[in-house]
Amino acid sequence: MGNLFGKKKRTRVTEQDKAVLQLKQQRDKLRQYQKRINLQLEKERTVAKQLLKDGKKDKALLLLKKKKYQEQLLDKTENQISNLEQMVMSIEEVERIMDETQDSIEYQRQIDEMLAGTLTQEDEDDILAELDAITQGDVELPEVPSDELPEVPAAKEEKPERERSKHKPERELLAV
Amino acid sequence: MSFEWPWQYNFPPFFTLQPNVDTRQKQLAAWCSLTLSYCRHHKLYTLDVMEAQESPIFNNKKIERKLSMEAIQVVFEELRKKGNLEWLDKNKSRCLVMWRRPEEWGKLIYQWISKNGMVNTVCTLYELSNGDDTENEEFHGLEEWMLLRSLQALQSEGKAELITMDDSKGVKFF
Repeated sequence: MGNLFGKKKRTRVTEQDKAVLQLKQQRDKLRQYQKRINLQLEKERTVAKQLLKDGKKDKALLLLKKKKYQEQLLDKTENQISNLEQMVMSIEEVERIMDETQDSIEYQRQIDEMLAGTLTQEDEDDILAELDAITQGDVELPEVPSDELPEVPAAKEEKPERERSKHKPERELLAV
Repeated sequence: MSFEWPWQYNFPPFFTLQPNVDTRQKQLAAWCSLTLSYCRHHKLYTLDVMEAQESPIFNNKKIERKLSMEAIQVVFEELRKKGNLEWLDKNKSRCLVMWRRPEEWGKLIYQWISKNGMVNTVCTLYELSNGDDTENEEFHGLEEWMLLRSLQALQSEGKAELITMDDSKGVKFF
């Protein structure tokens, strides 16, 4: 009730987006952690080398053990990052599939509409041809043969259609 | 790739504010240009005025010339008027240097997003400025305040929407 006169900002951010963002945020944190640990490892490598040079083998060994442990942590982190990225991808995958399904449904609907439209157009042509035939009456008959003369090959494709539509009403008249 | 200094940099009078109006205009323009290209080359986004005075930009040790504090402020004021600089404090001791305007950054970022088919997805700001995927992009390493401004520019163009979460920010591109 408090926001009655408040401006409601319409957001284009979905709940899924927020979920993905959360995952990405966790991944970022892990990456930052990785970078820090890697830096530390580098430093320790240098120190270990120095210790060995100084003949402090025990200390060097201890350091290397510590380094090994950290490397294991890093591997675990890497795995966690992979898991997160997979989760991000699966959410995005779900969104993508949903979008595609929506697109296919839309596409199908458009095709249906087009077909419906085309049929109507064809029907209209037939109707007009019938109308022509009826108004012209018997004069239609002698005209038909002159149309059948195939002069230009290219026009042949058009002619069968016109003949067909002209033949139809002719047949009907005869039938009656 | 080392920075290439303009010819004026080794010309002593360049470091003295010129009295003649026309000459001064040209001088200031050259200083503005030099400051911006230096910051761009070294990816500097903020400048501290005291430090700047000693930095190579305004201090040419080779010819033993440096720009006075007063002159530096004049140059900075020019930059501010042109929209390339913003003071961070009232005392004018630190400033933000926008050698590239937020709108231009926004455009670069959006181009990268489009190229990678990431339109209609979300990203964290960290991912954009520090992610492995953006390592070769010019906006890699962009400081957060600049990144925010750039995304805000995209937002006002309807190409992005900023998202605030508990302790970090994200953005969705359209």
